Amino acid sequence: MEISIFGFSISAPSDVIAAWISTVIMGGIITFYVVKTNKFPLIWSYLRTTNHRKIGTLYILFGFLFFSRAGLDALLIRLQLAVPNNEFWLFQFEKYDQLFTTHGTMMIFFAAMPMLLGLMNIVVPLQIGARDLAFPFLNAVGFWLFFAGALIFNFSFFLNSAPGIGWTGYAPLSTSIFTPDVNSDYYVFGVQVSGLGTIFTALNLIVTIIRHRAPGMKWFRMPLFTWATFVTAIMILLAFTVLAIALYLLMFDRMFGTKFFSGPDGDPVYWQHLFWIFGHPEVYILALPAFGIFSDIIPTFSGKRIFGYSAMVFSIVLIGFLSFTVWAHHMLTVGLGPLLNTFFAITTMTIAVPTGIKIFNWLFTLQGGLIRFTVPMLFSLGFIPSFVMGGVTGVMLSVSAADFQFHDSQFVVAHFHYVILASTILGIFAGIYYYYPKMMGLRLDETLGKWHFWLFLIGYHLTFFPMHITGLNGMPRRVFTYDPGDGLTVTNFMSTIGAFLMGAGILFFFWNIFKTHRENEPVSDDPWNGRTLEWTVPSPSPEETFDPMPVVEGMDPLWIVKKEGREMRTTTDHRSTPIARDSILPVLMALSLAALTFCMIYQWFIASAIFAVGLFALFIVRSFTDEKKEHYGKGEAS
Amino acid sequence: MEMNAKEAELFRDKQIGFFIYLGVEALMFLTLFVTYFIFTPSSEGPHPSEIFDAMTVTLSSIFLLSSSGMLYFSEKALSSDKKKSMLVWLGVTFLFAVIFMVFEISEFSHFVSEGYTTSTSSFLSSYYVLVGLHAAHVLFGCFWMGVLFIQRFLPQFPKTLYYEKFKIFSYYWHFVDLVWIFIILIVYLRYLI
Repeated sequence: MEISIFGFSISAPSDVIAAWISTVIMGGIITFYVVKTNKFPLIWSYLRTTNHRKIGTLYILFGFLFFSRAGLDALLIRLQLAVPNNEFWLFQFEKYDQLFTTHGTMMIFFAAMPMLLGLMNIVVPLQIGARDLAFPFLNAVGFWLFFAGALIFNFSFFLNSAPGIGWTGYAPLSTSIFTPDVNSDYYVFGVQVSGLGTIFTALNLIVTIIRHRAPGMKWFRMPLFTWATFVTAIMILLAFTVLAIALYLLMFDRMFGTKFFSGPDGDPVYWQHLFWIFGHPEVYILALPAFGIFSDIIPTFSGKRIFGYSAMVFSIVLIGFLSFTVWAHHMLTVGLGPLLNTFFAITTMTIAVPTGIKIFNWLFTLQGGLIRFTVPMLFSLGFIPSFVMGGVTGVMLSVSAADFQFHDSQFVVAHFHYVILASTILGIFAGIYYYYPKMMGLRLDETLGKWHFWLFLIGYHLTFFPMHITGLNGMPRRVFTYDPGDGLTVTNFMSTIGAFLMGAGILFFFWNIFKTHRENEPVSDDPWNGRTLEWTVPSPSPEETFDPMPVVEGMDPLWIVKKEGREMRTTTDHRSTPIARDSILPVLMALSLAALTFCMIYQWFIASAIFAVGLFALFIVRSFTDEKKEHYGKGEAS
Repeated sequence: MEMNAKEAELFRDKQIGFFIYLGVEALMFLTLFVTYFIFTPSSEGPHPSEIFDAMTVTLSSIFLLSSSGMLYFSEKALSSDKKKSMLVWLGVTFLFAVIFMVFEISEFSHFVSEGYTTSTSSFLSSYYVLVGLHAAHVLFGCFWMGVLFIQRFLPQFPKTLYYEKFKIFSYYWHFVDLVWIFIILIVYLRYLI
């Protein structure tokens, strides 16, 4: 489409123009609302905050924004695939590539990861009796780096330069030989910047869990969500670091002519190894925190303690370990040879064992319990059978001989959506419904929540179950159409209907949030009759929590005192609180880095050098204005 | 340097956090070492033994590795509250780091002048991204030392906080030296003897 403004004529595809127009309108509405209700002090306080609950809320807010955007992409994909030989809007060929690349990359890096990190941020300190994360400033930096990365990645679409190389960015397609334009650079830099933030947040969570537990909160008294977070954070440090180097190498290949993934000695398969050494643990990085959430919700609404606590902890650790030994099952058809294929097939099958232990422990927790079917519980119950189905197809895929048939087909797409949606997305929704009182001081509406749950769950199965059959009937992934004679029409059309049911579920979620905030009915500290420490602090959790500091006397500390009908014991003898002070520096650092990378993408090296100087100047300002200055050097008195 | 209980506790947090961060850095370098190992030598371009110069490597190593010792003296002086000698040793550390950078830059520019750039071969690609990333760490350390130098003169800067910042820098610097030892062993030594 051609548009002419003030004599300049710009040509852009109509979807990009539609995105610009709707963004401007939305931006206008939000600005009007902000001005009218004078929300500036609130925005200013969130820009400068280092508090774990507020940062967690920001993570979830923006994660959900990108989830909606990536979900919209999914609907567009389904519309294009609804009927054979379809030409929906302009999503064919390259445009379709960009569509599924954006959908995948956004869902993994800018939707699922931030929403999980947000829940960890909010919940973990409250569960272990920490007053904040160990490094509040770094926590803000971590969030704003994610935000900067997402900003860069999203910007590509608005400039009609969305990457089209798949979320896996496989070489040689991702090298400058085949995609010389800036599109793929947006992928490289967007993911790199947000990955850096993820590493910092993971480090922060680890130190918090090691060092900031309340008196009596021994390792084997920690709630399972905290355990899952701890193991996940360690996995993030290992996996995202390898991804950072993979992207670093790809950046050099694209911009400075190095020969890692092309040329006479360069090897595209090396990219696959590096990517999946990150990529497979990443799947468990997404799943384990969700397991943790379910492991805390199911006991609460069964009125029983978790069955097999130590086996649950052990299986989390074992899954975390095994996830680093299976990466090449994504590469069974590359030609690594029968020996390696067998090795990776066997390790992959082994993961089913600890996962199975968890499934049975959840079932045994339910057995004989007084089950309350609240919305968080429904999401948890919906997760169990759905996830098992995804697990079963996972074992099918690990049979390397059979994988030659399944590989790169819609069957694979069905499999990983079954596992990731069931664990991560249902887990995130369960977590949001469960912890909304701690985030906002409100409880989401149960009736609308049930509409959300049932529409989403039915839509999910209707979308992805037929997709197995589509795949087995021969439809490859990442192609934009099929012939009427291929026998794929019925199952594809069913998938499209299912996708829209899921979309309808999300609309109910929006309505729910809107309704809950309009009615604005404050909720008690412990609305679910909870078992753990987070339900002892006020809703929403204040900036100063755990004063006085509780003493933990066993697993499920709140449940212990409820059973014995007494107050929780407290103490003044506890470790010192992390030092925090609101600061605008994290935002400025992240924005400088975003500006720097934006200039790098367009190879304006002088401009990026200027922003780099700015970034270093901010580091120096930070060092000179350290918030510890006011608290140190007081001698023994303080 | 006497820290009170609260400061010692917060310092310990930071120490553990920074050690974990150095673990992340170590993994980054490990991945680059593996990359170097896979792609060296290449079928095209020069063989590493043709271009590496034992003299440059030895001289630059002497300065960088001994700078760790200089920093140790500076730390000793800081612990016993000898401001002047602490600053002198920190200055020497800085100087040695700068000399190392001069050697490094001259080595790189020598290679480039002979036509051996990042795009010459996979070997040189992996050489530049590994040794270059290390050099960037040294450069960052130089600026960090500059900041520490200035902060020592600020009257309101609490001594215990300064000590904490100094210690964290020293971990960084010793780590960067350790990586250089691996660079000598894996990148250079195999092709020099």
